[in-house]
Amino acid sequence: MLKIQGLSKFFGDRQVLKDINLHIPSGEIYGLLGRNGAGKTTIINIICNLITPDSGAITIDNQPLGVTTKSLIGIVPQENLLYESLTCAENLDFFATLYGLKGQQKQQKIQECLESVNLGDRSKSIVGTLSGGMKRRVNMAIALVHSPKLVILDEPTTGLDIEARYQIWELINQLRYQGITLLLTTHLLEEAERLCQRIGILKDGQLLIEGNLPELRTVIPAAAILIMHTPLEEMAIARGQSLGFSHHRYGSDLAFWLPEQKSLQEIVSLFDGIAIDSVSVQPVRLENIYVELTRERLELPSALSSSLIS
Amino acid sequence: MKYWYETRAIAHRILTELLRQQRTLILWVIFPVSMLLLNGFILAEGSKITTTEAFKIAAPSTLVGAALFFSSLGGTISTIVAERESKTIKRLFISPLAGISYFLGIFVAYGCVGIGQSLLVYTIAALFGVKFAGSWLLGMIIIFCSIGSYVGMGFLLGTQFARRTEDVNSLVAGFGVPLLMLGGAFVPTSFLPKELLLITQFNPIYHMNEALLKVSYDAEDLNNYDLRLHFVFLVGFLIVSLAGGWLAYRRMLITERRL
Repeated sequence: MLKIQGLSKFFGDRQVLKDINLHIPSGEIYGLLGRNGAGKTTIINIICNLITPDSGAITIDNQPLGVTTKSLIGIVPQENLLYESLTCAENLDFFATLYGLKGQQKQQKIQECLESVNLGDRSKSIVGTLSGGMKRRVNMAIALVHSPKLVILDEPTTGLDIEARYQIWELINQLRYQGITLLLTTHLLEEAERLCQRIGILKDGQLLIEGNLPELRTVIPAAAILIMHTPLEEMAIARGQSLGFSHHRYGSDLAFWLPEQKSLQEIVSLFDGIAIDSVSVQPVRLENIYVELTRERLELPSALSSSLIS
Repeated sequence: MKYWYETRAIAHRILTELLRQQRTLILWVIFPVSMLLLNGFILAEGSKITTTEAFKIAAPSTLVGAALFFSSLGGTISTIVAERESKTIKRLFISPLAGISYFLGIFVAYGCVGIGQSLLVYTIAALFGVKFAGSWLLGMIIIFCSIGSYVGMGFLLGTQFARRTEDVNSLVAGFGVPLLMLGGAFVPTSFLPKELLLITQFNPIYHMNEALLKVSYDAEDLNNYDLRLHFVFLVGFLIVSLAGGWLAYRRMLITERRL
């Protein structure tokens, strides 16, 4: 559905995108992760034909990027870009007209979209009177009103409470089941983990790695991660090293990469004599991979690196 | 047809927003009515002429010099600034909307407001015995040229000089009020000293006022040299402001076309 080949972009002397290659097949949810300024929004701007790349080619549904591809894309921006004094239906009606929908077909599509975001009964509500979660759903409905083949979700749940977030996640999954291709950018790694079939991590305009979660997990040579809180960190680190556990930090958490799965009982006995406030063992999560990759470049095994970055 | 549907959608959206907010529309009714009554009565008293004569002179300047200025120019600036502030303009850039449709949509919306204000001003003037003496068609052309000029100027000012809603007031007041004074919107230009009259010759609002006055009061047509002069200046200004507005809009596209 979406093919990006050799995409590069400079802003002045600064290269913000470096030879990006990406292929998202139909019906896939692809997560694009990276710190602020990594180049995610620049990629979206280029796909939306808002800025032109310096080199590279993009095709959407086998059509080269241009005015015609605008109607193939639906975008859910970070902010709710809505006309607050209009009703939900009027907002959708306005954008549907801009995308060339007319008459009965337009009215049907508006109602369908509002129902798909669970706002069927709020079509006549003024947008300014809705809650943040509802506005975000109207924002989403606008992106869908012209039946796009590719939907770009730019941090769709930022600033929402957990209930509203669950609703948006459910909607995103429904879209996937309808065969729509989705490109999702987010800072919420749990969101990417839950929703995306494949994930790409950008750093300084470069796609460091991409793959599904099991593939990404191979980046960290550990069977599990031990998280420990102790007042005697130095002692714990020394003990961990003597046991062959490499230590890392995730925020204020002290973590050890465990080469093999261990039970909590085993761990407590291995760290015998060190006062431990709390300890937990968790699988390697996207968060760990993301932090390691964006903090500093890991020494990826060359075979793995070339197979993951296509 | 694409342009027509898009133009209609933009105009419909702006008018719906105005109708829903009501406050702006009410003020756009109050303003020309109060201006016309004040201008008419002051002129009748100051110039020792009949109220009919006074309202005949006051109506064109109240309409094109004051009412349309604030609705078409101020309205256009407000529309653009509001779109930029709420960032909905970015959503428009993502859509297949053509720039020309956006421009025409704003023109049609404020054209509708302008027609409403024209009807209002001349209905009230008619209550004081005023009859539109000249060609209605020429009068309408002058009114639409004025609206087009204001919308073009609104695009220029709104895209280049106003980023926030607060900027609109200072911009309209800073640019507008002196131009209106010199254009004869508040006091007839015959009251102005010679030096200011010279400056006034370069003021488009003066030419709009004078052109409509010549048609509605003196029943002149384009065979009249003075009217032709005012009309040519007005058309020239329309072209310049449309071109300036369009270029400014294109420039804004370059800077704002980012999510």
